[in-house]
Amino acid sequence: MWRTVARRLVIMIPQILLLSILVFLMAKAMPGDALTGLLDPSIDPAAMDAQRVRLGLNNPWHVQYWDWITQAVQGDFGQSFRFKMPVSDLIGQRMMNTVWLSLATLILTYLIAIPLGITSGRFNDTWADRLITGYTYIGFAAPLFIFALLMLWVFGFHFGWFPTGGSVEPGTEPGTVQYVASKIYHLLLPAISMALITTVTTVQYLRSEIIDTKQKDFIITARAKGASEARVYNRHILRNSLLPIAAFFGYEITGLIGGTIFIENIFSYPGMGQLFLSSISLRDFSVVTSLVLLYGAASIIGALISDITLSIVDPRIRIK
Amino acid sequence: MSFLEVRDLKVHFPNRGGLFSRKTQPIKAVDGIHFDIEQGQTYGLVGESGSGKTTTGRAIIGLNSITSGSVTFEGRQLTSGDLQRQGAFRRDIQMIFQDPYSSLNPKKRVLDIISEPLRNFERLSASEEKARVQQLLEQVGLSPESILKYPHEFSGGQRQRIGIARAIALKPKLIIADEPVSALDVSVQAQVLNFMRDIQKEFNLTYLLISHDLGIVRHMCDQIGIMYKGRYVEQGTTDDIFDNPQHIYTKRLISAIPDIDPTKREEKYKFREEVRTEYELAYGNYFGEDGLAYPLKPISETHFVALPGRG
Amino acid sequence: MDKAPIPISSAKQPTAKQPNKSPSGWKIIWREIVRDKVAFISLIFLCLVILSVFGISLVLDQEQIVSVDLFSLKQPPSEQFWLGTDYGGRDVFGQLIIGTRNSLSIGIIVTVLTGLIGVLVGLVSGYFGGTVDNIFMRFVDFFMILPTLMIVIAFVTAVPKYSIVSFSLIMTAFLWMGIARLIRSKALQEKEMDYVQASRTLGSSNLKIMLVQVLPNLSSIIIVTMTLNLAANIGLESGLSFLGFGFPESTPSLGTLVSYATDPQTLESRWWIWLPASLLILVLMLSINNVGQALKRATDARQRKG
Repeated sequence: MWRTVARRLVIMIPQILLLSILVFLMAKAMPGDALTGLLDPSIDPAAMDAQRVRLGLNNPWHVQYWDWITQAVQGDFGQSFRFKMPVSDLIGQRMMNTVWLSLATLILTYLIAIPLGITSGRFNDTWADRLITGYTYIGFAAPLFIFALLMLWVFGFHFGWFPTGGSVEPGTEPGTVQYVASKIYHLLLPAISMALITTVTTVQYLRSEIIDTKQKDFIITARAKGASEARVYNRHILRNSLLPIAAFFGYEITGLIGGTIFIENIFSYPGMGQLFLSSISLRDFSVVTSLVLLYGAASIIGALISDITLSIVDPRIRIK
Repeated sequence: MSFLEVRDLKVHFPNRGGLFSRKTQPIKAVDGIHFDIEQGQTYGLVGESGSGKTTTGRAIIGLNSITSGSVTFEGRQLTSGDLQRQGAFRRDIQMIFQDPYSSLNPKKRVLDIISEPLRNFERLSASEEKARVQQLLEQVGLSPESILKYPHEFSGGQRQRIGIARAIALKPKLIIADEPVSALDVSVQAQVLNFMRDIQKEFNLTYLLISHDLGIVRHMCDQIGIMYKGRYVEQGTTDDIFDNPQHIYTKRLISAIPDIDPTKREEKYKFREEVRTEYELAYGNYFGEDGLAYPLKPISETHFVALPGRG
Repeated sequence: MDKAPIPISSAKQPTAKQPNKSPSGWKIIWREIVRDKVAFISLIFLCLVILSVFGISLVLDQEQIVSVDLFSLKQPPSEQFWLGTDYGGRDVFGQLIIGTRNSLSIGIIVTVLTGLIGVLVGLVSGYFGGTVDNIFMRFVDFFMILPTLMIVIAFVTAVPKYSIVSFSLIMTAFLWMGIARLIRSKALQEKEMDYVQASRTLGSSNLKIMLVQVLPNLSSIIIVTMTLNLAANIGLESGLSFLGFGFPESTPSLGTLVSYATDPQTLESRWWIWLPASLLILVLMLSINNVGQALKRATDARQRKG
């Protein structure tokens, strides 16, 4: 098992390297450089050039790349020219909002997927199963942003059950119960909207997995030996079908990132996704590249965690 | 100079393993074998699964690359690699595959399947091609009407006939038949084998018949080679092998052939017991320390056995 | 399957008047779709949408629709403007027609391009295998993990001369890996089949085997994947346009119309601007998916309806 983990870690090194090069090239392709954010545009071009030399911006690209990556590893992502503050501080302010949103979505995804998947798999071809399958069908086809807009329109504006923007009621004191409650209240509609869409693949997976397992010989044997239906499901079928799903959460990260960009934009929720979009429209490129690097790394690590948990849960899929 | 000469043929497969796919000890599928086939004859290659008989056949036709040794066909040495670049003489060697289900492309109609070799080697107009395919279908005993059908519409025996029609389309001289009937019902096996003998006479074909079934080999072959773990244990004419088996492995194979004649039951049982005792007592005399066969030694003009060197 | 031995001498089968031509795979697939009511209705709906959208947009004057009209800002639906006008006084219905046409076109272009690249790369990689395949798979795995949406957005902003061509190229550049991986794994299975070995012994070149022998056996999976991808690509394009990183504003897309809803006023009280486009995207993607799923069932013999 440790060999599998070691191999998987070895594979990750070139991935991180490739990501950093990709992001670096992207940063170079974008108009402007670190100085555009720091200096007054009315400054003398000669002084500007001197500054460039001093900051190493005229060095060959591999030297620049090395400087950039060593700084990034130490948590220094440069300056945001728009907010006039270090990018790391800026991201730090927004990060927790996105983390909470993703976490809430993930929990809701599993809360929805497991009962629906089990019902639909255990009682397949009943009306309940048909209803659930129909929902997954529509959920699979519907784009997240359209669904989220409809949710906001219906439940946020029309019924007014949920707040339509922000992450917390302005004026509430951090640390109080009202603050936490308000945070959760603001989180709920975006997280539900996203979870209702992201959950469908898990429901579909769980359903087909249970239907498959139901027909395996060892289940028939268990039944033949007189195991009760509850025991067959709890001890044999669910054990085999639920564990892989638990390992999927790492893979979900890539999807969640795409999702939060839309969701935060639609619900005006101040997280990293919203920061990403506003930085792009404000041409605040040091923030953009840092976010891409951060999100890319998060996806790579998510896949790593999932691969390793899966290999522990299911020995058949270990990398040789 | 024989029609086909195989000299010290070795086919080794690299065996990769470990953390960074290091090369470890290769698998010696075929480990130095030697035989000749004369034109118009049928040569049987016999052995258990994993003995290297199929690999030998595939190496001769060029599907597996040869590690060392040589294969000479009508005086020309065959090499492995891109079969297409080796020019026209490759067309003289064709193959009949074991599995009639996977050896025919399921998405192609019979016309396209049988005309594939024709399209590669001969420039025919569409109508000429169709006529040739229909003629070939008739030769293998299928209706010429079926050129527009798909393989799944035929039974296993019929599919194998399509495979044979494809193999003889270029009028080859040597056909390598790798377990040609083992995937078929017993009732169909004899038909296909007899038919293979018919076309052998008609086209003066030479067969290399690869099989694990000694009954079939006895029925079909003039010469037989017995393989074990990539090496020969015995070689001779059909009579040499069946009437005068020398190596314990050959004896065990022959004693295992079922006989339906009840009057011979006693006799058969005695022979089997004899072989079993000899095997238990003298196994070590027939194989080297690594469990592999010794080099072949002649015991008559046609009969060779792998026995340990006695001086 | 009938396994009865056929005597050599009288092998002639009961002959029909014509050489009996068996139905090809395409005919079987078509039969399945017609039989599947939901899919058939979806297909008809799709054809109607495509025909009417491309038909009407020939008549419409695109210049006039996308130009600002200060005398008719933010109008509700009326006889003249069926779905009202936007903040620039532009006819929403006209934008809906042109937007649908643009979204469909770019969806189809990107699907075809990614399909071509994906099939080519996957086929070569799976058929030849070896070191190249190994490196390629690691590369594809890497890009599959990355958050594509973000990177596409970042590249869209980085490209200096932004146009529809560069937009579709950027999308293509990040979307061909999925199909390549799928085709590669299928090609890997397929090349182990005896018919590929047989073709080699019959003198066919590798190129010929790949294109003539292996490719037809992958055709059904390619069609199914491309159909499902088409839906996904239309969704992605409208999503990007919704965020403002798709088409430039002078070329409306369905996503552009939906993006008016980011203004709370429009979202709350002027539903006619964004809701029709949203529902159209929803129904389009649902229909394409229905057709795709039906194709999937049709090509998988075990799931056929009969």
